[in-house]
Amino acid sequence: MTSQTPFASPPRIATWLVDLFTPDEQAESIPGDLLEEFSQLASKSGVASARRWYWRQSVKTIAHLIATGFRAAPWTILGAVVAGFLLRRFGSALPEHAIELFFDAFPVFAHNHWRVYVFCVTNGFLIGGLLESILIGCIVAAVSKGREMVATITLAALLVALNVVTLVQVARHWPVHLFIPEIVVFIFGNSIMTVMGGAVVRNARSALSRRASPTRC
Amino acid sequence: MPTRDFLGEFEHLVLLALLRLSDRAYGVTVRQEIESRTNREVSIGAIYATLDRLQAKGYVKSHLGDPTPERGGRSKRFFRVTSKGVAAVNRSHRALQSMTEGLRIVRSYS
Repeated sequence: MTSQTPFASPPRIATWLVDLFTPDEQAESIPGDLLEEFSQLASKSGVASARRWYWRQSVKTIAHLIATGFRAAPWTILGAVVAGFLLRRFGSALPEHAIELFFDAFPVFAHNHWRVYVFCVTNGFLIGGLLESILIGCIVAAVSKGREMVATITLAALLVALNVVTLVQVARHWPVHLFIPEIVVFIFGNSIMTVMGGAVVRNARSALSRRASPTRC
Repeated sequence: MPTRDFLGEFEHLVLLALLRLSDRAYGVTVRQEIESRTNREVSIGAIYATLDRLQAKGYVKSHLGDPTPERGGRSKRFFRVTSKGVAAVNRSHRALQSMTEGLRIVRSYS
């Protein structure tokens, strides 16, 4: 079946993901090639088929870009991941200290805003930890220029692995339910936020480079 | 033992595709050429990973073309094989020919 699809556009999420993982030197060629072939396929075999093809190509291309990223700059990525890990290791108590310091400095606030105080001491540490993870993701991405997503994903995978190992060890001695929301957030939330931090920096850099070369539509 | 770098299977295919396509060789055409001739689905990421490796070895050179609207205003990156690349293709081809010479089993499988 053939159809005229002059305005067919590829899946936005897939395009966004490919853009995130594509290094600056290939920012013209890889997304451009995918878009060109998508348009050819959409007019030849239909939009649905072209979208499936685009998703398949995007996933395989991202896998190759991750592998290529490691090979191209292994020491940069390793250094960024180690720095991120150390920041996480030694900075994990910072949100807790910040909240404690705030309420020590302004005890009246805690007295007058009891609900806010209770929220801060119960959920504030978790939220602070998530914000700290975004910041660490941004720092790791900033130092691994061009390989932002590879570095932050590696750090996130390392943190998930270490958290899972630690929790399994803890659960052996003190039986705990591993699927309570706080633990799931603790295991995956921080890692997802770290990757989000990398995505923020990558998007900002892409926007800057697009502004520098305004040829794209 | 000579230390010359021999081509991997996919590197060989990519270089042959570049030679076939001549001045029309860029990501899309290289991918389609390999896919149509080998009947295997190839990702654009695999093509560029291999082309970057070949460029690092000095086997190919690339240049950016003009931006086109069907690519969202992005440029094509054209590739061409260098004389060093042609020598590598010939070397691999001779090695394969030499290895398959006299082997009836290769014919019986084809």
